Amino acid sequence: MSHINVKVAAIEQVTDLIKHFTFVREDGQPFPVFSGGSHVVVSMNINGRIQRNAYSLMGNPEETEAYHISVRRQEKSRGGSVHMHDALKVGDSLQITFPVNLFALEKRARKHLLIAGGIGITPFMSQIADLERNKANYELHYAYRAPEHGAFSKEIKANIGNKLITYVESEGGVLNLRNLLSKQPLGTHVYVCGPGPMVVAMIETARTLGWPENHIHSEQFTAPPSGESFKIKLTKSALEIVVPPEMSMLEAMEAAGVDAPYLCRGGACGRCELEVVCTDGNLLHHDHYLSEAEKAAGKKIMPCVSRAKCDLLEVVL
Amino acid sequence: MSLAFKKETFRDDYTYKNSVEAIKRFPFPFPEDTYMYSVNMEPHTKGPKGAVTEHTFDIDEHYVSECLDKAKTLELDPGRYAVLPHMMDAQWDFLELTMESLSTDYPHLFTLKKDGKNWTWENKPLSIKKSFVFGDVSTLDMDPFEYMSRQVQGDFVLLDQRNDTLYADAGFITSQADWSLNFDVGMAWHEWHGPVPQVTKLGVMDRALKYLMSMQLGAPVRRLNWTMTINPRLDTSPENYPLWGGDRNTVTPENVGKKVHLRVELQTLFRLPRSNGLLFSIRCYLINMEELSTFPRWAKRFHRVFRDLHSDLAEYKGLVKFREMTVQWLSKFDDGADIGVGTHPE
Amino acid sequence: MERGYWIRSKPVYSALVWQQQANAHLVLVEGSAGGLAAMKLFQQMLPQQSITVIYETEAGGADYTAALKKVVPDDLQVFNSHDAAMKALEAHLPEALMGLRIYVAGSEKFMWDIAQIVLHYGVDDADIAKELTGTLARSVYCVHCKAITHNAHTNIQACSGCGKKLFVRDHFSRRLGAYMGLMVDAEDPGQIPEIEEIYP
Repeated sequence: MSHINVKVAAIEQVTDLIKHFTFVREDGQPFPVFSGGSHVVVSMNINGRIQRNAYSLMGNPEETEAYHISVRRQEKSRGGSVHMHDALKVGDSLQITFPVNLFALEKRARKHLLIAGGIGITPFMSQIADLERNKANYELHYAYRAPEHGAFSKEIKANIGNKLITYVESEGGVLNLRNLLSKQPLGTHVYVCGPGPMVVAMIETARTLGWPENHIHSEQFTAPPSGESFKIKLTKSALEIVVPPEMSMLEAMEAAGVDAPYLCRGGACGRCELEVVCTDGNLLHHDHYLSEAEKAAGKKIMPCVSRAKCDLLEVVL
Repeated sequence: MSLAFKKETFRDDYTYKNSVEAIKRFPFPFPEDTYMYSVNMEPHTKGPKGAVTEHTFDIDEHYVSECLDKAKTLELDPGRYAVLPHMMDAQWDFLELTMESLSTDYPHLFTLKKDGKNWTWENKPLSIKKSFVFGDVSTLDMDPFEYMSRQVQGDFVLLDQRNDTLYADAGFITSQADWSLNFDVGMAWHEWHGPVPQVTKLGVMDRALKYLMSMQLGAPVRRLNWTMTINPRLDTSPENYPLWGGDRNTVTPENVGKKVHLRVELQTLFRLPRSNGLLFSIRCYLINMEELSTFPRWAKRFHRVFRDLHSDLAEYKGLVKFREMTVQWLSKFDDGADIGVGTHPE
Repeated sequence: MERGYWIRSKPVYSALVWQQQANAHLVLVEGSAGGLAAMKLFQQMLPQQSITVIYETEAGGADYTAALKKVVPDDLQVFNSHDAAMKALEAHLPEALMGLRIYVAGSEKFMWDIAQIVLHYGVDDADIAKELTGTLARSVYCVHCKAITHNAHTNIQACSGCGKKLFVRDHFSRRLGAYMGLMVDAEDPGQIPEIEEIYP
């Protein structure tokens, strides 16, 4: 996978929990233009362990001198966001991937309905730039817990005016999905990014109201859950690798020097899919990619988020 | 490198020819004595000096004549260019990619000057100089996709990625191997890829689709495909089938060497930045049997491949009428010796 | 037809079934066979949401208007011309909301005329339920002159634009609502295979 070496050019504390990082290229070249909704995967070295997290790019896609991401501090995670918050300083070097878009706007939509919850606002910030440039018909509905959590809402309001509708929970604001989704003109596409329950509620509501699947778009990155240690055997390269409790299968393979494919590292895109040969235990699927039937069949696994409760898992790689 | 551009035709009197250098760099597609259809891709990285893969887009001695032939084909049938309205971002992506690549790879032929959004493009071989505002269609004479498609050899398709598939939502197609843009534009991957004999059951097209949908910025890929054409005709379109279909009846044992051409497509695919679409570029190289056989290794190889080609594939590619004569003509070069693996000429 | 061989662009149609998850329903049917298909639909459990039926009777034959009046609860519109039915569809769409389920029963021409109209409102043909009734007649696009000839019943059809004898392929364009027609005797002028009715 090709990478871009970047330097941290600025760090801004946006809210108590959210920091905004500005990256510039080490080689001084412009970044590639990207499409709204894209993310990059940031590699960080946490005490000798390489962790890679995906973050949405939130700058204007046409501005190529810097890339911008925002990171919400997650205390209960495996340390990636905490590392970004506590250890990273202006001038530090990092590696990021080229932008990848798994949350693209449907350009033929007659109307775009964007629904953000909390830090889920970030992919929409680059999408807004695309929508404005193409003079598209859209609304952004942004829900957050309290005024101090509404990162970027002032900035967005200044850019797009009354196309932004905010819902502040502490002030009694409620985003009624059923009301919102039942009055949209034919040809509308809906996009949601936010906490898991909000994403699920939006998808279920849209389906109940008869929205076709291809008009419903969501982005949800799952952080790889920890679990018990197990061993994997790679049949093509004849390697045996132990996956420790706090590492994903993909990370353990990378740590062992295996060049395994990936794109989103969040169980969404399907790029890292591996064929399962056999296991003496059970697969623990955590991805959003495989169908329930495929998960039950046990022939495929997404090593970026899924693991196994077993002694040995044999996969083709 | 300085290129002398040849003056030649791809229709009527067919004066198209390959120079000795052009023959030597021909992208011969058969590394082995048998041919199996595959969609194996490799990274589109810079190839050796002089190879057709040396640069992102290959400009060769046929450049000027081929661009004139394109313009002629489009003038006779404007339906060879089609674009659906939601593809404007992809059109600018294409213009940017082609102008930047050509001006970087061939600075003596093409230049691009940028002052913010104000760009000036110069194409010396075609005597074009144009200042315009990037992103503002009204400052170009035509769509950005059409503008640059007219100035690069090959055919181009812009693909939109949605609904877990790829849609052919724009194209500039003047040297196609028998498919109709005006009919196929807007189709999803599986609709425009009709079944290929002997491969439909293998899930080849499904795997290729999945691979392409996860293609990344900055990592283009390529593959070669091939068929055969009677006379050095670029425009073998279904639209003009009545004009060229009958040519298959004109092959005789005496004219095989000059009339029968191997037609190789260098297909390249790029992820496009603004639109998240893909560019599918199909560059056609033509070589007749006489030119090919100036390298006996290639003549031997192609003799074996064509002789043993599965009859379903020969039928699918429209090669049946002249297969026997061509195999017979090539047989005089084949002593049966083992020539090893590889596409090299000697 | 070769077994196991399928042109993937060729549409597949199936009997209409109500979608219970919806905001509203719009049913469009053509001719007597389409009228019967609508009657069959109303034999199923009726969904909760509002239902509009547009019934086109231009071709004549058995008329199910009276029977449909008895079963359509909300809004039945009957038209004796294709153009009037399409105008009624156009009038229905500007105010329509997401969650409108669309059902069509009729000839391929009827279905794909509708698909082209609703596409302007952002509805993909994949989201329209389609049942082929009455006839297998094809619309044929002449790849040479671009004219579309309707009502082709035979394997080979004369082009209404340029007169060429076109072999009617299975390759189908949703955008044009037509099958591809390719000159059958281009390689060997005058060699026309036997013409047979295969799309009755």
